Amino acid sequence: MVTHDGDANQPETSRGRFVSRFLFSTDHKVIGLGYLWLALVSVFLGMAMSLVMRIHVVWPGAHIPFLAALGNAPERYTTLPLLHGSLMVFFVLTAAPQLGFGNYLLPLQIGAREMAFPVLNLCSFWVSVVSLFGMTAAFFTGPQQGITIWIVSVGLFLAAALCSAIIFSVTAIDLRAKGMTLPRMPLTVWAWLVNAILGMLIFSILLASCVGLLSDRIFSTRFFSAATFLASQTTNAAANPLPALWQRLFWFFAQAEVYIAMLPCFGFVSHLIATFSRKPVWRERLVVLALCAVALVGFCVWGQHMFSSGLNPFSPLVFSVLAASLGLPSAILVVSWFATLWKARIHLNTSLLFALGFVSLFLSGGLSGVFLTRRGLTSQTGGEDFVAGHFHLVMGVAATFAVLAALFFWFPKLFGKRLNESLGKTHFWLTFAGVYCVFMPMHWLGLISQSAKNAGADLSSIAAWIGPARSFITAGIVITVFAQGIFLINFLWSLLRGERVKEDNPWRATTLEWSVGSPAPQDNFGDREPGVYRGAYEFGVPGVGEDFIPQHIAPDRVAKAN
Amino acid sequence: MPGTIAPPEIELIIEDFRGGGGGGGRPPDGGDDGDDGDFDRQRRRQPVSSRRFSTGIAIAMVSILMFFMAMASAFLVLHHGSHVWVAVHLPRILWANTAVLLGSSFLLERARVRFSQGDDRGFRKLWSVTTVMGFLFVAGQLVAWRQLAAQGVYIASNQASSFFYVFTGAHAVHLLGGVAALLFVLLRDFEKSQISVSLAAELTSYYWHFMDGLWIFLFALLYLGK
Repeated sequence: MVTHDGDANQPETSRGRFVSRFLFSTDHKVIGLGYLWLALVSVFLGMAMSLVMRIHVVWPGAHIPFLAALGNAPERYTTLPLLHGSLMVFFVLTAAPQLGFGNYLLPLQIGAREMAFPVLNLCSFWVSVVSLFGMTAAFFTGPQQGITIWIVSVGLFLAAALCSAIIFSVTAIDLRAKGMTLPRMPLTVWAWLVNAILGMLIFSILLASCVGLLSDRIFSTRFFSAATFLASQTTNAAANPLPALWQRLFWFFAQAEVYIAMLPCFGFVSHLIATFSRKPVWRERLVVLALCAVALVGFCVWGQHMFSSGLNPFSPLVFSVLAASLGLPSAILVVSWFATLWKARIHLNTSLLFALGFVSLFLSGGLSGVFLTRRGLTSQTGGEDFVAGHFHLVMGVAATFAVLAALFFWFPKLFGKRLNESLGKTHFWLTFAGVYCVFMPMHWLGLISQSAKNAGADLSSIAAWIGPARSFITAGIVITVFAQGIFLINFLWSLLRGERVKEDNPWRATTLEWSVGSPAPQDNFGDREPGVYRGAYEFGVPGVGEDFIPQHIAPDRVAKAN
Repeated sequence: MPGTIAPPEIELIIEDFRGGGGGGGRPPDGGDDGDDGDFDRQRRRQPVSSRRFSTGIAIAMVSILMFFMAMASAFLVLHHGSHVWVAVHLPRILWANTAVLLGSSFLLERARVRFSQGDDRGFRKLWSVTTVMGFLFVAGQLVAWRQLAAQGVYIASNQASSFFYVFTGAHAVHLLGGVAALLFVLLRDFEKSQISVSLAAELTSYYWHFMDGLWIFLFALLYLGK
């Protein structure tokens, strides 16, 4: 089934060296970086598209050179949100935290030499690349043909993600180093494992619906009736209700997808907050249980919807909001983050800033979710801006913040260099202010258009507010996108001529990946299989020279140091 | 000196560890958490532990099950909600196909018994018969398709026929994966492989029985769903 990467350690010929080292290497680190690059390209493409969309909303007649050449049909515009959404959800939110960081760090954190099935892993990566090209190509072909290409691409991505989910679960279950027991696993590893199991369940459901959809388009079966999928992507979704079955299967996936994006981010944030507060994670086992519960709820809440008769497309979102923001597991996570930060000597660098930004966005997204549970808001089109604002704040932006926090933290491990701190902080504050300026007025816009539908509302005064609010949002987006330019400069500049990391463990972290050089050597831990002697968050230990004990330090060595 | 980033003590510890000093081989104090045992002894210095394959197959089977469950629930939802459900007259040959598949599962188990008795020739013979029966089943499904088409029932004719074609098609694709695994066990030179014949045969048998059970489930669904 899978052959072992036997020639990885043999000297390579200089011809084909680039190809074998970077394109077709089964090394989990190369694959992980590949996913991260894929996410970086996708996030900037997706952001450019949202900019185009906003410009279109504010100045509908504006001449946009890139789009004018493609013809000015309304379908062309509707494919834009579709492409924006699919790039962001699949290649950024699903790929970066799980497949990118996970592939690179999971084996290092559990003390393994490789991921479980290296060749299968490489294949999934390349299938994902093909899928990215397919989705982008769908935009440039005609709508009818394009949508078929798009569905095939989504199917390919799902198949690849399924394989990755299997690889992740097997790696975390079976390939742990000696002494790396389940309670000693870092929370990041827990999050990746739980997420992989959740992904394995829900990706196959969306794959099944993709098969049905494709059969509808190619063999003209009627699983999802004759309604074209494009119809669901118009801005006026409720006017064009989709067949019930499609909604059920789609939301089954879409609902859990929120958790797929969020789970690894919970792991990152807990890990980073503990490391930078120099304190153990508050109630670590409870946090692990909360992570499992989030996945379980993410999977089961849908079941409730599946067998209920309600077909309002927003009602599952309400359930998801209830579960994600008001549910017990999320509360446990938030309490744990604050309790870990409580009375800690916090090292407030960019990485922690982004992690705290995540907490802030997660909380405010949750608060707006409370309003979403109001029945009147979610029905029909009135709450649309509100839902868009809520969804982006909780899922898109919050997850991106966690990914950025992780990037600032692990950049020394990935590339052996540091990202620039002052550029990073500028980037953080501009982005933080920017996203609130964009998505908070969007909530407000949703409320206004809702109140416009009430009898006796003063329509002219409401209309007078909508235009300026939209312009304000667009200005906010321009600022936010500009701030990402700072990040891009920081990233590329640090990559090429950033400050080299001198010590192996610049953050004084405890987990195994910091016990090897940076960037991690090709054979990870060399001939020696690392031993693990303690839990992942032994910070603030009294009576040792430093305030932390790495996981691989044996007890007798700690005693000797004293 | 307070405030320095890395005091000498911890540096010493880390260097000591990484230098590969004398006491490095000591086992960690993980005796209280029950994760050691034969698993750890087995994977000591082996390039690949074999447990990953069984876990991988198990997880893959759950995932495939979810795929078919999504389709089955779609079937139930549409069947239940439809007023104009036109039943498909299932071809008789499906019963024969089912018998072939059940027989192949039985022979597969016999083959594994032969293997455990050390009878390698008997094992290979029975295993080959199983593989042929796998092909026979797929061929039988194709015949069923042709019979339906001869009756004028195509994939797009009505919802029930759509489900019939998609169920059987998806199942056949997954079953061909099982046939590939059967062939792999027959043709692979296990001297060079990282897994043993017995493990490969065991995992293949799990998957094959799973395909078997899945077909019974789908067949029952289609039959009772008339």
